[in-house]
Amino acid sequence: MMRPALPSPLPIFDRGLLRAVEKIVPPAEREEWSRTWRAELWHMHHRGRRTQPPGMIADLSIGLTQDALWLRKESWRRALDGTPTLCLATLLGLSLLSLLMALALTGGWSSLSLYLDAQLKRAMLEAPLVVFVMFATASRRPMEERSSSMKLCWIRRQMFFAAEVAMVLLLTFLLSADICHPIHRPWPATADLLQIFFFVVLSLVGLRWAFRDQEERCKQCLCSLAMPARVGRPSHNLLEWNGMELACKQGHGRLSVPEMETSWCQSSRWTNQQPEWRESTSI
Amino acid sequence: MDTPRLSHSAALILKALSLGYCFGLDVMEVTGLPSGTVYPALRRLERDELVESKWEPEEEAAAKQRPARRYYEVTRTGKAAALAATERYPLLAHLVAEKR
Repeated sequence: MMRPALPSPLPIFDRGLLRAVEKIVPPAEREEWSRTWRAELWHMHHRGRRTQPPGMIADLSIGLTQDALWLRKESWRRALDGTPTLCLATLLGLSLLSLLMALALTGGWSSLSLYLDAQLKRAMLEAPLVVFVMFATASRRPMEERSSSMKLCWIRRQMFFAAEVAMVLLLTFLLSADICHPIHRPWPATADLLQIFFFVVLSLVGLRWAFRDQEERCKQCLCSLAMPARVGRPSHNLLEWNGMELACKQGHGRLSVPEMETSWCQSSRWTNQQPEWRESTSI
Repeated sequence: MDTPRLSHSAALILKALSLGYCFGLDVMEVTGLPSGTVYPALRRLERDELVESKWEPEEEAAAKQRPARRYYEVTRTGKAAALAATERYPLLAHLVAEKR
C-alpha cells in the first residue's frame, strides 16, 4: 500500500519517533498504524482554532507507544491464547514463582535444598498414589475417534497431558512446601503432616483441572476449544441428543459432550472438520 | 446479548464517541484522558465490536489540504453498552457535552 503524502511534513522528532516505535507493531498492522499516527500528529500540529496545550506532544508520544505496545500484546494474545505452550509456560512460571518464594522463606539455596530434600522423598511416594487415585476416580469420558489418521495427534496429546500432570505435581509440591515452612521449625512433625495433607488436596484439585482441560482441547492442535453451545433440551433426553458442543478456533473439528450417558450416546464425540470447511469455520 | 461491563474510562470514551466526537484527538480533549488511555481503549472497544473504525475519503481530505483521518463510529452493541454505562455511572451524562 502506498502511503499518501502529507500536505506538509511532520517535524523531525515526530518522524524519528514514528520510525522507532513502528518496529514494535506487528508487521501486518504496521502500515495502518503508521498512517493513523501520521494523520493524528499532523492534525495536532495544525490545529488552528486552539493552541496546543503544553505537554500535548509528549502525551501523544506516550499514546502512540502505548498503542503500538497494545497491538503487539494483542497479537501475542491471539497467537498464544489457549495454546498448549501457554498452558505449560504458565504452569512453569507459577512453579518458578513458588520456588522463589521458598527461597525467600528459607533464606538461601543450601537451606532450601536441605528443607526440600526430605519433603521431596515423601512426595515421590505420595505423587504416584495421588495420580493412581485420580485416574481411578476421574469421570473421564471415553472418546470416540472416527479417524484412524489420528495416531500422531493421540501421541502428542498424551505427551502434553503427561507434561501437564508433571507440572501440576511440581507446582503443588512447591506450594505445599511454601505453606508449611513457617511452622516447620517450631513444630516439625505437624508441619510434615500438614505438608502431606496440602500436597494431596492441592494435587487432587490440580489434576482434576488437568483432566478437564484435556477434555476441552482440540484433538489435533491441542488448543482450548471455544464457543460452547447447548444443544437439545434436557426434557427430551430420551428422544434426542442433549448436551454441549465446543468448536476448535482453527476449525479442526467439534466436540459433542452428552449431558447424560445414554445407551445410544455414551461418550464424547470428536468430529473432524473437512479441510475445505476449515477456512469458513475458523475464527 | 448481554452488554459488556465497561471500566469508567472506557465508558467515558464510548459516551464521547456516541455524542459525535469521532476522532482520537477530539476524544482526548473532551474527556481530558491521556492519549495512553484513549488509543488503547479505542482498540479494545473495536476488538469487542462496540465501535468500528473507518477512514475518511482521501478526496475529501485532499480537498481540505489535510491527511485523511481514522474515525470511530459506535455500533449497535456499542450504543446499548453506552446506555447501560450511563445507567451505571449517572455522572457520565454530565461529563461530556454533546458536540455542536
